Amino acid sequence: MSASTTDVTASTGSVAAPPSGRAASGRDRRRAAKLDHAPWTPWLFLAPYLILFIAFVILPALLGLWISFHSWDYTLPLKPFVGLDNYASLFQPDSVNYDSFWTSMRATGIFTLFSVPLLLVIPLFVALLMNAKFPGRNFFRAVYFAPYVLGVAVVGVLWRYLLDNNIGLVNYYLGMLGLPSDTAWTTSVPAAWVALIGVTVWWTLGFNAVIYLAALQDIPVELYEAAKMDGATRTQQFWNVTIPGLRPILTFVTLITLIASANMFGQSYLMTQGGPNRQTRTAIYQITETGLRNFQMGDAAAMSYVLTVFLILLSVIVFWLFRERKEKKAKV
Amino acid sequence: MSATAVKTPERRSADKSGSTKRPARTIVRLVVLILLALAFISPLIFMVATSFKTRADATGIPPTWIPNPFTVQAYESILGATGTPVVQWFANSMVAAIANSVLVVITASLAAYPLARMSFKGKNLVFGSIVATLLIPPVILIIPNYLIVGGLNWLNTLVAVIIPTAASAFGVFFMRQFFLSLPIELEEAAVLDGTNRFQIFTKIVLPLAKPAMATLALLAFLTNWNDFLWPVYVLFSPEVQTLPAGLSTLQSANAVRYDLLMAGAVIASVPVLLLFVFLQRFIIEGVSRSGVKG
Amino acid sequence: MSRIVSPIRRRAIAVAAAAAATALALTGCGAGDATPGTATEFTGEYDGPKVELSYWNGFTGGDGPFMEQLVKDFNDEHDNIAVKSNTIRWADYYQRLPAAVTAGKGPDVGVMHLDQLATNAARQVIVPVDSLADTLELTEDDFTKDVWDAGVYDGKRYGIPLDVHSLAMYYNTDHFAKAGITEAPTDKASFEDALAKLKAAGYATPFWMPALWPSHLMDLSLLWQNGGEPYSKDGSKATFDSQEGIDALTWQTTMIQDGYSPRDVAIDAQYVAFKNGETSITWDGIWQINDLKDSGLPFAAAPIPTIGDEAAVWANSHQFYLPRQAKPDENKTQAAQVFIAWMSEHSGEWAGSGMIPARKSVRESGVLDDTLQGPIADTIDTMRFLPPIPGVGTVQAETLEVAVSSAVLGKASPEVALKTEAKKATQLMEKNLKSFGG
Repeated sequence: MSASTTDVTASTGSVAAPPSGRAASGRDRRRAAKLDHAPWTPWLFLAPYLILFIAFVILPALLGLWISFHSWDYTLPLKPFVGLDNYASLFQPDSVNYDSFWTSMRATGIFTLFSVPLLLVIPLFVALLMNAKFPGRNFFRAVYFAPYVLGVAVVGVLWRYLLDNNIGLVNYYLGMLGLPSDTAWTTSVPAAWVALIGVTVWWTLGFNAVIYLAALQDIPVELYEAAKMDGATRTQQFWNVTIPGLRPILTFVTLITLIASANMFGQSYLMTQGGPNRQTRTAIYQITETGLRNFQMGDAAAMSYVLTVFLILLSVIVFWLFRERKEKKAKV
Repeated sequence: MSATAVKTPERRSADKSGSTKRPARTIVRLVVLILLALAFISPLIFMVATSFKTRADATGIPPTWIPNPFTVQAYESILGATGTPVVQWFANSMVAAIANSVLVVITASLAAYPLARMSFKGKNLVFGSIVATLLIPPVILIIPNYLIVGGLNWLNTLVAVIIPTAASAFGVFFMRQFFLSLPIELEEAAVLDGTNRFQIFTKIVLPLAKPAMATLALLAFLTNWNDFLWPVYVLFSPEVQTLPAGLSTLQSANAVRYDLLMAGAVIASVPVLLLFVFLQRFIIEGVSRSGVKG
Repeated sequence: MSRIVSPIRRRAIAVAAAAAATALALTGCGAGDATPGTATEFTGEYDGPKVELSYWNGFTGGDGPFMEQLVKDFNDEHDNIAVKSNTIRWADYYQRLPAAVTAGKGPDVGVMHLDQLATNAARQVIVPVDSLADTLELTEDDFTKDVWDAGVYDGKRYGIPLDVHSLAMYYNTDHFAKAGITEAPTDKASFEDALAKLKAAGYATPFWMPALWPSHLMDLSLLWQNGGEPYSKDGSKATFDSQEGIDALTWQTTMIQDGYSPRDVAIDAQYVAFKNGETSITWDGIWQINDLKDSGLPFAAAPIPTIGDEAAVWANSHQFYLPRQAKPDENKTQAAQVFIAWMSEHSGEWAGSGMIPARKSVRESGVLDDTLQGPIADTIDTMRFLPPIPGVGTVQAETLEVAVSSAVLGKASPEVALKTEAKKATQLMEKNLKSFGG
């Protein structure tokens, strides 16, 4: 499912947060409120969207919860109510689903833990590099962004080929450089993690970089000049002007990268097929396999809600981390 | 690494102290950027090159960058194969992506207008729920939506990849942001003239919104074209599959025919790359703007 | 190609069928009262208007072209039936088929593995084909008992066997010659002797033990050879952790411990290594025969040696089935049955794909002469199949495969690995019994 809640980067599942547009339009909004309209007019406008929204976002969210309370195999007639059993079985080490679910959560955790910092820091460096006037800047910006428009299917298939053990380009060049040239990038850990994370960085670096670049260009030059007049070195300027200036965007980028990583599916499905031995099978992959391949929808629904709780917790932590400093800044 | 944001020529000339260092810094900067660009482009070049190789060359060692012999056999094979109808996949993707992006733009624009310009009971509830859904990870919707789509008898049809994803919360925000940025005088004048809201919307607001709508349509098109997880599960016959789902079939059917695989990948990439090359300004601006929190 | 029904009898059936159909038509009945969920009376011929049949199969490998040729031949011979193939890799196939049929968008005819019949029958994805089997005059005599019985679930037959395919032992003839091995090993002693000889001849790792596919098939074969059974016939519990099972898996791990195999063999790596001449012996399915032939490797195929007490080998079988239709189309159902009948009669041509035709009469007609799988076909009586328990395929994938992988990778001892997973398997099987109403 893509565009209903997460757009633009639906394949990675990342979320684009709303532009709030406070600046010039507050006054306009108050004026708009004074314009007359029939009471049902707004609802007519909203209707098409709301119909789709209720049918394919609200309803399934509730249905999913309902399903998670049943032993639900949609190819069979009986779907008995089992209360919280599906959830309980995810937390009982003895049960059948415990191992596979938590292995997949661990896989998601490993991927997120390593990919998010890389996807926050490297694009920032690239954006900093590009944040100057020089010939061909737009060309570079386009080149770094280009992989992003390709979608995970092309990226996954292409890199599975490049990373092939025997005939892949990567191992060939590693060999030429004198490094080991037989790493099983897609069939052994931890090489598979390096591969998955590396490919994801290649794929989505441009996206984050573009956002950073736009934000960097919003930082007023006067702040840099003031810092320079105070005798600040480049490094000091970076920490005292650039980073604080980027703080609002950092929350956004961190959140979308986090959510995208936690929702990783395509790279694993196409490059490693969740292997070796299911170690790179992410939570989403596990959920879709359980629900749509093994037809145990009750279990899968319960798993998805448990994952959701984790994601919400993570999001709250991110908000909290960044909010605190914003308040400090306001006090200054 | 300095983050000097050089905005205007005057500013640049005001900072004379670094002028002697600048050429060197620029060169270093360029070198790094060029190396990075190579890392980004070379896999794509290799993909295209391999698609023109023979079957043996595609899996040969050492890997070559220039196909020798240069052949279109891979394209001929997959375009002719009945089990992997690449042309059909291409057409399906095109139909689905266009239909979906049109739906997204229409519903999002219509919905965003009252949220930007009208006040009514329940407005906060509606807006609030749309915000809240951004926190709902798509994963909890996959399985129930599969059942719903199955119940509507849309499984294995293109409708399943067009309609369920057409309600775009991002789209609503994007358009709302845009509408808010329009000066309200135009609409006020029209109200005084007695035009009804719908006409104001269609005759005044929408024409001004064309760039924003185009950007949104582009982004929605990209999203739908590249959607992978959902089509893989709801489209099972080759006749209705879209390119990403089809590519995955191609991969499993031809585990060692990399020439065919790369040809398929190229076919799947060409439209989006073309769109990108010509419309990158819109796409990149759309993405950048989405991050602006105001 | 031997036909099971002689031309004269066939014409007689056709005439009788035509007469019956005419009689029925005259009496105003439909051509067959198709109660949802059962295949209609098969009359032997299809005389109706042109139909297109969607035919699902999973032949994505070297066997694909052979099936495509057979379909093409069928289409050429039948003016009023056009069969359209949809080939889906097997892993996805078993997800898509029930989903599609439940959504009313299933195929008109298909082929699946024997060990999936019971699951799909219990899910009401496929319908019984007893009448078709009767008309084709398929009897137990034309098959081995195991293949015949395994296609019956809940007293009804759900599959028409096309072929059987088992594990085989492939060995590099050059390596064997160099090591001075003159015959393929047939038991534990000769096998381990051969390994020692190969090692002495300079082949450091003559027999790679995979951690994943097809390691659990090897384990099942060895378990059966030791006299054990993987699952109870009533479907209530898993028994692959019996002593016979532990012994089987332990033998597999000794291959690594004794140095005949490297550790951590990645998926498919042992097969690729064999193809490249890096290893001397590999156990794999007879479906690999054509791929190995194409590679130019000097090899031969033989039945797997009897490491245990009695000869046994894991096997599976491709079976034709009829899916349940939301809106049964009489013409299509008839045409589908004609298709299956024709395929069954032409199963000899299928031997070109490396498979072994399921029907004894076909096998004995000489189609397997000069084939690499011929010697394997001779041991067809030792082929063992999984019992028809709904859901057993998933249970095995989630438990036995994990156990074998754990033990081979050295993560747990065979005993611990098997016991842990057997416990889970039993839990799953009990759950399945409840869900499927066993």
